[in-house]
Amino acid sequence: MQLFAQSTLSETEGGRIRYAASIEMPKAYLSGICVLLREGDVVRGSLFNEFGVTALDFTYYPESQKVKLHHVIKMMDKWYVRRVLRKDLAQLMLRLQQGETTYHNKRRHITYQLKVIDNG
Amino acid sequence: MKRLLILLFIFVSVHLSLTAQQSEAQIRQAITQAASAMKTMQCDFTQTKHLKMLNDKMTSKGRMYYQQTNRLRWEYTSPYSYTFILNDDKVLLKNKQRNDVIDVNKNKLFREIARIMMNSVVGTSLTDDKSFKSAITTNNSEWIASLLPQRKDLKQLFQKIILHFSKKNAMVKQVELIEKNGDKTVIELNNIRTNEKISADMFTIR
Repeated sequence: MQLFAQSTLSETEGGRIRYAASIEMPKAYLSGICVLLREGDVVRGSLFNEFGVTALDFTYYPESQKVKLHHVIKMMDKWYVRRVLRKDLAQLMLRLQQGETTYHNKRRHITYQLKVIDNG
Repeated sequence: MKRLLILLFIFVSVHLSLTAQQSEAQIRQAITQAASAMKTMQCDFTQTKHLKMLNDKMTSKGRMYYQQTNRLRWEYTSPYSYTFILNDDKVLLKNKQRNDVIDVNKNKLFREIARIMMNSVVGTSLTDDKSFKSAITTNNSEWIASLLPQRKDLKQLFQKIILHFSKKNAMVKQVELIEKNGDKTVIELNNIRTNEKISADMFTIR
């Protein structure tokens, strides 16, 4: 089935997609906007809340399926949070390439969801 | 002759500095008076988020309602639907999927965001000396206040906040929120109406 699934990650150079983002945790829920930009072989992303406060800036490397975090808002900037975010964002990006929009971290009970807002 | 010139220079410098101080004090007074006279306020807003790393910007639009002293409804209508209502110590966050009620005393992030949004659009951030160190400049039509956060929790969120006040009515017309990573959010307030009755339902949290 996945052979026919359409990627929800831009495949064209300079292509950017905006998503409504949500992160659901056992004791918290965060929502915001995620912008992903295809730049050469990598995907650059920013996640910010509706008021515009940036929570994360990151780069996803599709070849190695790894994420590098460039900026994490101070309130979330702990080594153990960074570790979870790096792994989970990489999984979420992989899901987007496969046409899915949700990733559920079963061990930590965290659900990440992205829904396309527009292609502007 | 040289001494005389030095004395003249010192006198002129001191005089100019005092005039500037008086003028800044007058501006602060005008803004404080306008803020305290503003019992209610409603307007449209356009918010533009500038993303430094992606060299991109995103514009969202909505409507804002404020009622003195602690009620705010901040409603995004495009390109997403999201409502933030602050009513004293409670915040309601509403999107298409769910409603969440948060006690601002238990959530540092929302307490700060609620305070900044409300105090910035009303203009009272300028006189909050505990939270910000401020400086005012002017151009033809505006007073521009640069606010440098002093408290640790504010410093974690913003590098600088710039408020643009209209000289006509001493009210905020634009807010710039500048973050540590170089991102910037600019909020422009349009069609501002003050001191008109706003239904209590607009601030109801249930």
